[in-house]
Amino acid sequence: MPTTSQVRIKNIRKSYGSHVALKDIDLDIPAGAFFTLLGPSGCGKTTLLRAIAGFHQQDAGDILVGEQSIGQLSASKRNVGMVFQDYAVFPHLSVFDNVAFGLVQRKVAPEQVRQRVHEMLRTVQLDELAGRLPHQLSGGQQQRVGLARAMVIRPKVLLMDEPLSNLDAKLRVDLRRDIRQLQQEFGITTIYVTHDQEEALSISDQVCVMYDGVVQQVGSPWDIYHRPLNRFVASFVGANNFLLPGAAHADGVHLLGQPVPAPSAVRGQAGVSAAVRPEKVAVNQPPRGPGVQVQGVLRHAMFTGRELQLSVEVAGHGTVEALTAPDEAMVGLRNGQTVQLGILAADVLYFAAGDTGRRLP
Amino acid sequence: MSTAPGMRCLVPDFWSGILLASLALIGLLLVWPIAQVMVLGFMDAETQQFTLANYTKVLTHRYYIGALLNTLIVGVGGMVGACLLGIPLAYFTARYAVTGRNVIATLAVLALVSPPFIGAYSWVIVAGNNGWLTQFVRSFGIAMPTIYGIHGIILVFSLKFFPFVYLMTESALRNINRSFEEAAENLGCSPTERFFKITLPLVFPAISSGAILCFVLSIADFGTPSIIGRDFRTLSTIAYNQYTSEMGGQPTMAVSISMMMIVVSMLAVVLQRYMIGKRRYAGALTNLATPAALRGAFGVLVHTLCYAIVALATLPIAVVIYTSFLQTNGPVFSGGFGLNSYSRVIQEVPDVIANTFRFALIATVLITLAGGLISYVVVRRETPLSGLLDSVLMVPYVVPGVVMAIGFLLTFNKGAFDLVGTGSIIVLILFIRRLPYGVRATSSVLRQIKPSIEEAAISLGASPVKAFWKVTVPLMVPGIIAGAMMSFITAINELSSTLLLYTARTATMPVRIYSAVLDGEFGIAAALSTILLVSSGLCVYVVLRFSQSKESAFV
Repeated sequence: MPTTSQVRIKNIRKSYGSHVALKDIDLDIPAGAFFTLLGPSGCGKTTLLRAIAGFHQQDAGDILVGEQSIGQLSASKRNVGMVFQDYAVFPHLSVFDNVAFGLVQRKVAPEQVRQRVHEMLRTVQLDELAGRLPHQLSGGQQQRVGLARAMVIRPKVLLMDEPLSNLDAKLRVDLRRDIRQLQQEFGITTIYVTHDQEEALSISDQVCVMYDGVVQQVGSPWDIYHRPLNRFVASFVGANNFLLPGAAHADGVHLLGQPVPAPSAVRGQAGVSAAVRPEKVAVNQPPRGPGVQVQGVLRHAMFTGRELQLSVEVAGHGTVEALTAPDEAMVGLRNGQTVQLGILAADVLYFAAGDTGRRLP
Repeated sequence: MSTAPGMRCLVPDFWSGILLASLALIGLLLVWPIAQVMVLGFMDAETQQFTLANYTKVLTHRYYIGALLNTLIVGVGGMVGACLLGIPLAYFTARYAVTGRNVIATLAVLALVSPPFIGAYSWVIVAGNNGWLTQFVRSFGIAMPTIYGIHGIILVFSLKFFPFVYLMTESALRNINRSFEEAAENLGCSPTERFFKITLPLVFPAISSGAILCFVLSIADFGTPSIIGRDFRTLSTIAYNQYTSEMGGQPTMAVSISMMMIVVSMLAVVLQRYMIGKRRYAGALTNLATPAALRGAFGVLVHTLCYAIVALATLPIAVVIYTSFLQTNGPVFSGGFGLNSYSRVIQEVPDVIANTFRFALIATVLITLAGGLISYVVVRRETPLSGLLDSVLMVPYVVPGVVMAIGFLLTFNKGAFDLVGTGSIIVLILFIRRLPYGVRATSSVLRQIKPSIEEAAISLGASPVKAFWKVTVPLMVPGIIAGAMMSFITAINELSSTLLLYTARTATMPVRIYSAVLDGEFGIAAALSTILLVSSGLCVYVVLRFSQSKESAFV
């Protein structure tokens, strides 16, 4: 069992010319956690990961693994494992030699190397293929080699840079489960970068959403999805309908032309947006509480097997997306037919103005 | 269906016809002459009986063994020298922001396309017995080591052929996925360890391809050892001498020596293939390394080294051009500048200039047409026969020009095939020697054009032949132009084969330069060489202008 450590990122700043890629990132990653950096491309997540690996030198700040500062060490001295997006399995070395590479580099005794490599290859189910060259392996197998190679050196931290993004959908889900299982088995602190929000939610203990070089929110997958701290998190993680609240009234605002109760902070503020997840929009259902009941015209329906996605135009208020369980009667709906939409006031979140406007209580 | 039923049968026939015609052509121009050489080597010169005596003689006689060893020495020497110059240059320009990288690459290409015998003779002008440098050094009372002999040959070969190693290695280095090196670093490698454990093995296939090319070209070259070698005999010089002295009789010794050269070249190629094995690493075009900035003393050192290498390599070009503008009085330089050499060239050998361009132009047109069709057959119609065609086309790479010329003389000397002394035989040898390069240039472009593009045209109603002409050919044009320019450059600079085939009426510029150098007529040699260099330079410009692959189009 490798010993695992807490990782602390202290005020990391990094700029490229006038572009600030990381703006004072401050994070505490608990020992043994699966910690995911999630964000769109250009948000700084990969820059942060590469700074931890030592491929980028940060302009300011430090990185601590346990009590040890690694912020000034060269990449070859940091003893952090790294799994690459493009596998980076050395094409001229066999599977065995790839996995042995880091151990040989650390001058581990040959007998030990042999034993540890085979043990690790068994763990990733590649022991049979130890003698193969990488070009004889599938993408998924190559990434297992990459994983084994990073784990076998027993690093204190494991870094993974979008390791699944080059794999096809089915394999991605399988390997995702394997990675999570291995990580829990070894208890290794893992920092994982992805732009795939479903992957982030399904694999992590904690998700850190980044945007524009700034941490937007750190939290459990549940919190990130259900209690986004700002508008960016709400829009990036999962789908959301963003509605423009209409005029305020005594105890609320108007949504889709209907009065709904809303917190006092929302009333009278400029640029506020309301968000409601498509799965919270009821279609042709009796109302279950205070909220909006409005008619719309079906513009587009898509049956995906597991669910039914509907785009409904509400006159004067644009299109509302709804996601419902597939009901045969609803699959039979034709474009242009009128449907009834229902939204519970309790399911609506409000955000202050701007891309990253904070959630209003 | 709008397609006439007849078309379906006719269309496969068109490409099968091309395939069969190509095989017949290659059989006639390549296999037969080489077979003649091979057979004659087993024949007794007097009795015409089968014998192993020629080969026994070549393999036991000190004279021949000496030449074989010499050939291997200059081959290995040229190869090692080329690697010592080419690999560091490639590493620096690929990994560091070297100022003027394009200038360096263009100069390397210019050095590459200039004929090697020009290199040899301008080094004689610089560092020969009466060379400028020799005289300059002598004025200090120091005796210069002589340029003649083995080290001169190796120097010329290294400087002449290093661009192959440089250009191939550089493009391989640029295509290495950055992640490999980062992964090595992450696993604990220092930069030096990383270079030897990861970077070097990954570019080894490219380095070895370039190196083996240098080896094969070095052992095949005839002009350099005969100009600068003095008494240093290589297989190509003795094959030439044996052939010219055996005129009239059967050139059995010359062909036995020729076979030795083919065997050595082939062994080298096979050895390299074996060493590479399956190690061909597809370059990833994502995640490429950005060149590091150069600062301070290291930066100065790197720049000095890079520019010194290409400056030395292009020195012969500068020397030749400079010399061509020196005033001469007969064969003697009379001091000062003048256009004397050029007016002599235009008065005395206008037909030589015309011959060179005429032969090269016809050969280039033929190569381009045949190369386009053959590469299509090889790339798009994969059958055992087209595979055979592809392999046979490897042969000219390992057959030295002298050998090919001897084969032609043995083959095309009687009846309807009596071409000896004609311009046709020169055009044909230029054609067959350079056809593989033309095929390679077009097939590499063709491989990048997806067949689905042509299939789309066919599904929209074009016949396959029409789809080829309307869709594929236009896409191939840049590659075809680059290939044609390369064919033209090598055709106007060809010496080793034409030297055995020319007559007074069919002499070409390289042949005339060679004899002018041997006669000490440096003015004429320089003027003719300058014409060749400028023509080659213009072709290089066209390639660099129109080809997407830029410098790597030349290797």
